[in-house]
Amino acid sequence: MIAATITLAQAGSDTVGIVGGTDARALILGLLTGVAFGAILQRVGASSYALIVNMLRLRDLTVMKFFFLAIAVGSLGMYFVNSVGTAHIGIAPFYPLGIIVGGIIFGAGWALSGYCPGTSLVAMGEGKVDAAFTVLGGFAGALALALTWDWIKPVLVDPLNYGSQSIPDILGVAPLLTATVVAAIIVAFVMYLDHAGTGRRPTAGKTQDHPART
Amino acid sequence: MDLLQEQAAARKRMSWITGGILLGLLNTFAVATYGALGVSRSHVVVDGMLLRLFGSDLPSTNSYLSLVPDQADWLLMIAPGMIIGGFLAALLTGTINTRSVPRLWKSRYGNSRPKRFAAAFAGGFLLLFGARIAGGCTSGLVLSGGAQLAVSGFVFGASIFASGIITAKLLYRKQAS
Repeated sequence: MIAATITLAQAGSDTVGIVGGTDARALILGLLTGVAFGAILQRVGASSYALIVNMLRLRDLTVMKFFFLAIAVGSLGMYFVNSVGTAHIGIAPFYPLGIIVGGIIFGAGWALSGYCPGTSLVAMGEGKVDAAFTVLGGFAGALALALTWDWIKPVLVDPLNYGSQSIPDILGVAPLLTATVVAAIIVAFVMYLDHAGTGRRPTAGKTQDHPART
Repeated sequence: MDLLQEQAAARKRMSWITGGILLGLLNTFAVATYGALGVSRSHVVVDGMLLRLFGSDLPSTNSYLSLVPDQADWLLMIAPGMIIGGFLAALLTGTINTRSVPRLWKSRYGNSRPKRFAAAFAGGFLLLFGARIAGGCTSGLVLSGGAQLAVSGFVFGASIFASGIITAKLLYRKQAS
């Protein structure tokens, strides 16, 4: 079911070749989709340095709840579309060494800048000057990776490269059913985070560790 | 002042529930039309375009840059769209913010712009260097990869949160608020 639309790529599902077409319709819809993406991130506050850093300090989980909920809704939506028609699903390849090392480097940059690649663009659009430096640093970092790719690929990407691995394929369960179960688990987790109320709301009857969080 | 402006912006924010549902629906729309949302590849494509503009042959000789397209496609257009989306949303809600140094950063590292800009630049460097090793960022691998139930998305998500939490705790150790 998914196999027909899987993009197999050594260097990441979206790295190789053209994604989604280069015709005017594809370019305009891509731009508009980006506008909506940027506007949602801005409205929720995901492009706020304080909200991101305080999420990573586990003091205000607003953005984490937003982000996890978006994954759950997206999963249900995508696999619903996939079950009734064509969904352009591309499962990124799984190579644990590169994914984990890349993730550790990424996480350090995330906490240091207070942005991720997408929110740095949004924050720059909002006028935040430091975000423009994060975008510039991003261009430099991507270029540095390109220049060192021949050394990094044989060490972190090629060994233990399992190609596209998705949870429904591994479990042998229908994708929409898997998406429903995963979405339910994520929503339960988000509700738990909200109920536990890390940050913002003081918990009734309990002493608060950090009185001034906002 | 910073504080008043931030508080005003915070009051106008959309709830995480509304935002989460909207973003999930947007990613569903993206997958139904062309593909899942992703950002970090655009930095590589733009690098290639800029190098070509300056007459460099790296985009065709370099083993990584030669993988990405030399022209704009659907996925690339997401990036300029996000800048415009951030600008329009801020403009329409009166939350344009031209500050250089975030208030929280200021409380720990002072007013110095060069210091904050250097950290922001270094952070961006690490973000893209790491993202391109892993094959995606918070958008492509976690938001979209997670929704597509890709194993790589969940492993990358766990890695970035673990590393980000440790780094943030180190950067703000001994800080009460």
